[in-house]
Amino acid sequence: MTSVGKPLPHDSARGHVTGSALFIDDMPAQVGELHVGFVGSPVACGEIMRIDVEAALKTPGVVACYTAEDVAGHNVFGLIVADDPFLAQEEVMYVGQPVVVVAAENPKALELGRRAVVIECREQTPVLTIEQAIQANRYLGPVRKIARGRVDENLASAPHRIAGTFKSGGQEQFYLESQAALAYPGEQGQIVVHSSTQNTTEIQAVVAEVLGLGQHEVICICKRMGGAFGGKETQAAIPAIMAALVASKTGRAARVIYNKDDDMCVTGKRHEYFTRWDCGFDNAGHLLALRCEYFSNGGATTDLSPSVMERTLLHGDNAYFLPHVEFTGKVCFTNLPPNTAFRGFGGPQGMLVIENVLETIAEKLGLDALQVRRANVYGVGTRNVTPYGQVVDKNHLPEIFETLAADSDYERRREEIAQFNAKSRLQVRGLALTGMKFGISFTTKFLNQGNALVNVYTDGTIQVSTGATEMGQGVNVKIRQLVADEFAIDPRRVLMMATSTEKNNNTSPTAASAGTDLNGAAAVVACQEIKTRLRSFAAEHLADSESGLVASPEHICFAEGTVHDDRRPQVRIPFEQLCEDARRDRVDLGSRGFFATPGIDFNRETGRGTPFFYFTQGAAVAEVVIDRFTGEMRVLRVDLLIDIGKSINPGVDRGQIIGGFVQGMGWVTNECLTYNDKGELLSHSPTTYKIPAVTDIPPEFNVRMFPNHDNTQNIGSSKAVGEPPLMLALSVWAAARNAISYVKPGAEIDLKSPATGEEILRVITALQQDTEPTQLPGIVIPGR
Amino acid sequence: MRDYVLIYINGVRHQIRGQQARLSLSNFIRRELGQIGTKIVCSEGDCGACSVLVGRACEDGIRYQAIDSCIAFLFQLDSTHIVTVEGISKAGQTNGVQQALIDCHGSQCGFCTPGFAMAMTAMQENGCGKVVDELRAGLTGNLCRCTGYVSILEAGLTTEIAEGERMDSMYPPDTMLQDFATHADDNMALVEDNEESASRTYCPATLRSALEVLQDWPQAMIVAGATDIGVRVNKGQTLPETILDLNRVKELEQAELVAGKLVMGARVSWTSVESLSRASIPEFYRVLKVFGAPQIRNMGTVGGNVINASPIADSLPFYFVMDAELELQSSSGSRKVSINDFYQGYKKFDLRQGELLTRVTVPLPKERELLRLFKVSRRLDLDISSFTAAIRMRLDGDTITEAALAFGAVGPTVLRARNTEAYLVGRELTEATMLAAGELAVAEVTPISDVRGSEDYRLQLTRNVFVKFYLEHQPDAVLV
Ligand SMILES: Cc1cc2nc3c(=O)[nH]c(=O)nc-3n(C[C@H](O)[C@H](O)[C@H](O)COP(=O)(O)OP(=O)(O)OC[C@H]3O[C@@H](n4cnc5c(N)ncnc54)[C@H](O)[C@@H]3O)c2cc1C
Ligand code: FES
Ligand code: FES
Repeated sequence: MTSVGKPLPHDSARGHVTGSALFIDDMPAQVGELHVGFVGSPVACGEIMRIDVEAALKTPGVVACYTAEDVAGHNVFGLIVADDPFLAQEEVMYVGQPVVVVAAENPKALELGRRAVVIECREQTPVLTIEQAIQANRYLGPVRKIARGRVDENLASAPHRIAGTFKSGGQEQFYLESQAALAYPGEQGQIVVHSSTQNTTEIQAVVAEVLGLGQHEVICICKRMGGAFGGKETQAAIPAIMAALVASKTGRAARVIYNKDDDMCVTGKRHEYFTRWDCGFDNAGHLLALRCEYFSNGGATTDLSPSVMERTLLHGDNAYFLPHVEFTGKVCFTNLPPNTAFRGFGGPQGMLVIENVLETIAEKLGLDALQVRRANVYGVGTRNVTPYGQVVDKNHLPEIFETLAADSDYERRREEIAQFNAKSRLQVRGLALTGMKFGISFTTKFLNQGNALVNVYTDGTIQVSTGATEMGQGVNVKIRQLVADEFAIDPRRVLMMATSTEKNNNTSPTAASAGTDLNGAAAVVACQEIKTRLRSFAAEHLADSESGLVASPEHICFAEGTVHDDRRPQVRIPFEQLCEDARRDRVDLGSRGFFATPGIDFNRETGRGTPFFYFTQGAAVAEVVIDRFTGEMRVLRVDLLIDIGKSINPGVDRGQIIGGFVQGMGWVTNECLTYNDKGELLSHSPTTYKIPAVTDIPPEFNVRMFPNHDNTQNIGSSKAVGEPPLMLALSVWAAARNAISYVKPGAEIDLKSPATGEEILRVITALQQDTEPTQLPGIVIPGR
Repeated sequence: MRDYVLIYINGVRHQIRGQQARLSLSNFIRRELGQIGTKIVCSEGDCGACSVLVGRACEDGIRYQAIDSCIAFLFQLDSTHIVTVEGISKAGQTNGVQQALIDCHGSQCGFCTPGFAMAMTAMQENGCGKVVDELRAGLTGNLCRCTGYVSILEAGLTTEIAEGERMDSMYPPDTMLQDFATHADDNMALVEDNEESASRTYCPATLRSALEVLQDWPQAMIVAGATDIGVRVNKGQTLPETILDLNRVKELEQAELVAGKLVMGARVSWTSVESLSRASIPEFYRVLKVFGAPQIRNMGTVGGNVINASPIADSLPFYFVMDAELELQSSSGSRKVSINDFYQGYKKFDLRQGELLTRVTVPLPKERELLRLFKVSRRLDLDISSFTAAIRMRLDGDTITEAALAFGAVGPTVLRARNTEAYLVGRELTEATMLAAGELAVAEVTPISDVRGSEDYRLQLTRNVFVKFYLEHQPDAVLV
């Protein structure tokens, strides 16, 4: 009766489909509850000259307006560097940066109040792009570097050498539930905050800091999020502080619900990247040396940007062995909202660069790009050390490549596509297989810990609380399954409780794909502690002097909802009875488990170490078709193969794989952030920011998990699945590039990401412009 | 004169008066009724999280369709039965759609899920969505960021709705229909006049009364489907004191094909035109299929698209090349204007005070006429065009005897490329001719760069559609 390995539904599935699962905006209002919003900076860069809230305060229904001056504690916080102001003071650093918090009796009054606030700024010229930041030499944090071997020498001596630049755009998380928080005063000066956050501990800490309270005076609770994807790892903080500030000042409950436009305008996103690359390779396409200089658009404050860049450097190799390599990374300061975590966390940006390099090499050598990737993929036993020195252990990449190429009929389709492209003047198709290797663990070592509270009740039911926050990824049901199996009971007897700092302290953000790894492992530790106690108790209970059965905890087994001594299996005590009896015998039926990932270490200064507990690996083949005249692209077919170890919940994991892939596909195709020259985001709602819709899903989508149970170091021999599949979608971008390469074989292709229709048409047009102009009947076209 | 809107919500009868009738449906059900299953994400019709069913009387009972509750005002919904996610299953139970979503892992974070459940239930009600293409088409109005949709599609394909879960079983229509019938013909005015605010919302039942309202209140804002107005209000525009709502005016909701013409009342929904054109005007159908999404097409109207006067309105290029005729009526009479003469500048058009757009008549392509409509948008579905075009040609052998070219999103209004048309007439339809035409057309458009595309992109598209048109009409054209 094990439940691990079974596709149990999401633990809130019923609540989701009936609409009864409560999100912050759905929680019943308390008497006197205030509606809270903010007014942000009108400019991207400048000095605040005047803040006038008088008219706002006179607006009927407006209760209070607060500025940085009303902050009792620190107004500035930040996880890596404390440079993130809660409310702007003196200077403003991006458009919409919160300056004034407004609290009102009802939404209408709040809206009128917000409109009545006056913020005057002396505007200065903002830095908005990576290029401008490089020119102005404005960076956040130190330059990071990972290097090995003799790069210059091998670049110079390589039979071929190509250098170029590459750009990938940012990406909005586009969680459906915008940032939200509800705060109310508790007893003895406490503040209770319900936050849609991936990191309850962080919210607790910053709220305490800003309000000048002790951490013990702040409780942060998160039942669920309507999506997060990294966007609520640090950036749930500001709305939570707003609500907490109002609650603490007014003594009334206060709720902040960002609308989508505001959310998109003022919160950080996936970092846009600009990369200079230079590579040397041989006739077979082996990369002999690679240098990449990555620049990310960090936005106005540090946030998580250095860590994101670190992960870029750690994934610049992706699935490929690089004998001589140098990766450096700089985070650019710009007057945009601080960019932040987003599924993949810098990994995708680094990996896309090398996939682009491999496509370039293939085009240059006239080889199929798969051949070039095969030449470079990490080996088994050899060519398997990453640039930072960690061995790619238990590597299945070559096998994954071959299996997938065969299963997806790669060679035959390559032929077909070449034929189609030779014939079709309207459309052009492309095909690409890209690899994926993603390191699992926080690269910041201390974060690799989790704790869990397991309470067993006398009817044999269990409540589990961990630091993991549920954002849809299904961490709850997975932990539930792990716990149920520990006690060998029906998973329906286990419930996952809201994440709360009251039960789980000093937790790490639910991020880095490690939610189940860390918290599931901690829950299992807690279960085992309880089981040890129960074993002793049961051993006594089941001992039988008549038949000479001496109490022996080692012989106690939990199976099928009962407990027995394996020397006398016919006598079984129902689990609930054991619990009841144990309590009466004063056995502790609760425990807190703790887990810290063993064996990981990484030195940022030297760029060497073992940052990862293990790697999740995979590959994908994508086929696309492009309209040669409009640039519009459709993804026709995707085949992917991913090694996620032994899946705890294949239903949930399959959802993560497909959902992650589609999100990645959005990043490399149609998701396009457009700013004007004032630093205002123009694509700030789903009208103008286009995430994939249902008709963008490839009509043929084959998803397979690579059968692999050798990842024994992790919980249940599973592997993390949250982020890795996103990067399988790089295949879609590579396929677009491949398609374009048929337009003018051998020509240089300068395709950026995202490959929107516009971008594709730009590249195709440029390729065609070099060809001879046709004689046009009856007209003269100037300047053609 | 009736002074309330009659709405049933999940079987419960409501009469809504005065200012309250100007609430959006979503705000009413979430804030006033406390039914929080309906989620709000964008408040602009672009995500479907707020989808509900709207049931309206039809020949054989009540017909249910999905709409976005965030951009529907209560006053538009007189004599309807609204069903929210709380109402599609009996308390504590799940309907077939919901159960399939659970079984297939169709929800992850769950924020989009009620909306999907509603859109899928609507399809079940209408007996569609059982094959994957239909299902996809029916879900284009719903965004999900978590699942990648595959599990939702799987759920849709395995769904079984039991007879008892049909709306007619859950909510026997007879009483409601009777109630609606007794409320069908009276005029309705929701007036509130107090110190704080004055508001008058007129919802007349006949065209004549509508024109009278307009005569009395020439500044009244005319509301049809509100898929444009609703968005503007949610993004900060305030509603004016006086509103004329057309949703009860029966005369404006007929659409038919007569004598080679498509004749549409101004308040005909895009859904109706879509089904009408499916077999008879495949080119127009192709565009309508990607016009917004089902939720938008169920509310949005023919007249609204014309009067909203956007240079990227999807219906207009077709009208322009077919030389469609608009019928405009006021209480003092009616007149006809060619669509080609109607627009005078950005959002400027020939509609006089007191006038309503009542009818759009589009002559259909005849034999030996080629017609092609183009909509280029960043995303295939539920996206506003970055570029639109229409090319119509009449051929005699290979010679072009008539040419009409219209472009959208390349100027302040949809426009005709008259010079290029003149160039084409009398020439042979060859690739070289079309290449040249493309170059000429580029000189006739004045696109700008905006969030949906750059000037260069739009110029290149203008240039390219000509050869694309030519190649697509070659007998061996391969289209995927
Ligand atoms: C999510 C979304 C997607 C959309 N997608 C598309 C798309 O793909 N293509 C596209 O072209 N449009 C699209 N639209 C815009 C909109 O749906 C259409 O313009 C629709 O046809 C408007 O009709 P309506 O009845 O809803 O107009 P309303 O919002 O009711 O009115 C629009 C304007 O027309 C006036 N008006 C309406 N009827 C009359 C009349 N009979 N006489 C005089 N004035 C009148 C109103 O006063 C108002 O100024 C989309 C809108 C949304 C919200
Ligand atoms: S909330 Fe997005 S469509 Fe209504
Ligand atoms: S399940 Fe999260 S948006 Fe669909």
